[in-house]
Amino acid sequence: MGFARACSVALVGVEGVVVEVQADLEAGVAAFTLVGLPDKSLVESRDRVRAAVVNSGAEWPQKKLTVGLSPASVPKGGSGFDLAVACAVLGAAERIDPASIDDVVMIGELGLDGRVRPVRGVLPAVLAAADAGYRQVVVPEQTAGEAALVPGVSVLGVRSLRQLIAVLCDEPVPDEQRPHEEGRPDPMLAGLMVPGAGLGTGLARGSAAGEGGRPDLADVAGQGRPRKALEIAAAGGHHLLLTGPPGAGKTMLAERMPAILPPLTRQESLEVTAVHSVAGILPPGEPLVSRAPYCAPHHSATMQSLVGGGNGLPRPGAVSLAHRGILFLDEAPEFSVKALDGLRQPLESGHVVVARSAGVVRLPARFLMVLAANPCPCGRHTLSGAGCECPPSAVRRYQARLSGPLLDRVDLRVAVEPVTREDLMGRGGRGESTETVAARVLEARVRAAERLAGTPWTTNSEVPGHELRTRLAVAPGALMVAERDMERGLLTARGLDRVLRVAWTVADLRGAGRPEASDVVTALELRSGIPRGVPLGAGAA
Amino acid sequence: MTGHGGAGLAHGADTGAVGGAGAPERLARAALTRVLEPGDERGGRWLRECGAVELWRRITDPGGEAERLSGMTVRRLAGYRLRAAGADPERDLAAVAAVGGRFVCPGDREWPTQLDDLGDARPTGLWVRGGPDLRLWALRSVAVVGARACTPYGAHMATTLGAGLAERGWVVVSGAAFGVDGAAHRGALAAGGATMAVLACGVDVAYPRGHAELIGRVAGQGLVIGELPPSEHPTRSRFILRNRVIAALTRGTVVVEAEYRSGSLVTARVAQRLGRFVMGVPGPATSGLSAGVHELLREEGVLVTDAAEVAELVGDMGDLAPSRRGPVVARDLLDAVAGRVLDALPARTAVGAREVARAAGTSADEALGKLYELHSLGFVEREGGGWRLTRRATCRDDARRGGS
Repeated sequence: MGFARACSVALVGVEGVVVEVQADLEAGVAAFTLVGLPDKSLVESRDRVRAAVVNSGAEWPQKKLTVGLSPASVPKGGSGFDLAVACAVLGAAERIDPASIDDVVMIGELGLDGRVRPVRGVLPAVLAAADAGYRQVVVPEQTAGEAALVPGVSVLGVRSLRQLIAVLCDEPVPDEQRPHEEGRPDPMLAGLMVPGAGLGTGLARGSAAGEGGRPDLADVAGQGRPRKALEIAAAGGHHLLLTGPPGAGKTMLAERMPAILPPLTRQESLEVTAVHSVAGILPPGEPLVSRAPYCAPHHSATMQSLVGGGNGLPRPGAVSLAHRGILFLDEAPEFSVKALDGLRQPLESGHVVVARSAGVVRLPARFLMVLAANPCPCGRHTLSGAGCECPPSAVRRYQARLSGPLLDRVDLRVAVEPVTREDLMGRGGRGESTETVAARVLEARVRAAERLAGTPWTTNSEVPGHELRTRLAVAPGALMVAERDMERGLLTARGLDRVLRVAWTVADLRGAGRPEASDVVTALELRSGIPRGVPLGAGAA
Repeated sequence: MTGHGGAGLAHGADTGAVGGAGAPERLARAALTRVLEPGDERGGRWLRECGAVELWRRITDPGGEAERLSGMTVRRLAGYRLRAAGADPERDLAAVAAVGGRFVCPGDREWPTQLDDLGDARPTGLWVRGGPDLRLWALRSVAVVGARACTPYGAHMATTLGAGLAERGWVVVSGAAFGVDGAAHRGALAAGGATMAVLACGVDVAYPRGHAELIGRVAGQGLVIGELPPSEHPTRSRFILRNRVIAALTRGTVVVEAEYRSGSLVTARVAQRLGRFVMGVPGPATSGLSAGVHELLREEGVLVTDAAEVAELVGDMGDLAPSRRGPVVARDLLDAVAGRVLDALPARTAVGAREVARAAGTSADEALGKLYELHSLGFVEREGGGWRLTRRATCRDDARRGGS
């Protein structure tokens, strides 16, 4: 009788798989069957599509209707297939020409009234369609900007099914009234930003806050050494641990970190936007994330919310939302040991593999980790005259919560001392502004990237140890202090590599061609947290 | 003191101790370690007055006239007897022999006689694990003690000191606790040196449990000693009393990181009282964990920053730490006027001698004379009609100008 096909995209993690939607009409008792591993929300698509088609002024075929989604083995879920299903059905019923929808990828949810509602994950879906060779996509109007980020694809943003039918049939396109008026909430945007999608991941809408609202590094009083560590961490992509009593300014420092990271490159922006789109936290009207994201999950976060998880198909967790940005774990020892150890894989590989009943997904997770910790449960340990009453065993236990393997990946460990009165009252002069530091960081990154040109790495923290030791030469004798520490058993072989990486970053920031002994000592001091009389280079303006 | 003799043979195989106390004495003392708490001065006095064998007899024998011991009350005696009933010295000696140990008591050739300085608080005997000779090792030993919940700085300093002392042939003595103690042992072990752990429990008990492996290594490479018989567990007071053994055994005690209220300070104070050297490693003045050390340093303690300085203090004549001072810069050796003249020269440009004289506040002739002196020393050179600093003088400027 009638047959038509359209295409849509199923999301697996943050990667899309193009799915062919086939509709077949046969004579028989009127029925609507949906096959091809649909989940609950997709099965409901039957009722939505029927209502939308009828309310768009088209006729619903009263025949035996079978819609198949293939490949049948890929698990599919969500409401984004509605548009493709509706078009395939209308094609089979010959309301529209089946040939016109053959190679069009359609993504969008249908309201019962025929309006097309935005869905999450449009960017990765369109990317997948483009990779598969499709050149035409139809998406909800609100997400057209997101889809248009993908080069080589022509994007049609539609407001309703009626509009789409008109376009496909070359009829005059009816002008759907914008459903929302100025000053009133847009019902179409409901659900695009999923409340709770970022729950437990603590993603800050840094870019949404606007330029004026962004905290500046100049607001931080004193803290020369932590500032310097922040700068080095940003320049080399090194993970950072800040320890200090409550109120010393650990969170304040961490919040200012994304702004000193260089702006994302186009490729990085697309990666980040794809993840955020899938997680449903992409702010409307801002299709492309161009600044490093900042994600600060609460310490009650579960492993699932950190690394990704959920029922059925895994959804990106905090580590993925912080991709190419900052993952800040405040009160790090309060996190569950399991959750923290879950970070080890993404820290090592830059991605996270999560297995759930419906499949295994690989999510990007190349982030810069900033840990903040109190020295003991009460936070006053080692503070002079503060009266910490935690027994030594409790202090030990508290500090031991950050496991060795996790801490081993942290290159910079800095003590954040309580702010002195002089610094707080601004008598020490204001510190450098974010702008100044960001410029230096960018310069250092460029220098590192030039040196590493022709290798798969761009920042010092990514360079493997053997490359570091064999290909990149430091100044003669520069490593003497570190080697001495190693003989004493104060530094492991891996620790030496880490010190070397940081030393390169310190040299990059200094504008030097290779690390000198003083750079290695600085790196050693920042790695071990033991003062070695390194003068403060940054921070004091 | 009982003499050498065949009596020792009865348990010679178990104890491995050479010469010294006879078998009954040794057996009685081993038994008494289970009855008398460490540091029991009353018990120590009785031991001194009537000897171990007699004391043991009086405590265990119902008709032993124990009441005749001065200070012995019925209640105390009941306590001692309750403990004595559970004592089985032969089993204890066998147990310690099973872990490769022995029992050393006063009078033995291996007994470190410096412990006698503790007077009646002298240990009844020491249970020892490990091969080396306790007395000889203790002769050249230094204690490194400090906070359990130490900072990375404390651990670093303890490790470096441990390694440095071990490299200089000193035995590093500590308490095998977490934090500074453990770091000191590890440092010594890493340097392939000698280290000794004084436990507040039986030498076959690994406490803290997290240091079981460390204690095992110390026992293998060095010595693990304790006053308490095998399988005894530590208590709060035993830790404090253990510290007096550490202090008495060593020539000096180095404290790395201690709060005002700290067991390490107890060790230091005992060491002070016994006339041993007391040393402290300074920390940041802002750190509460170093506050106790700083207090110690303000009293009799000596500030040390590395192993060489420790060795200089506790070592023999000639064990001097290399003298340390900043590098001598040539311009420090100039006389006052020449220095002024040199300072009067601007950094880059050349100026005439009169101008130099005005800036330096000297007469023109004197300035000219000094300029020629400086010339031959290579600080200045002529340029046209004037004088200017040489490159070398400009580079070395920092030392005198405060590094600006």
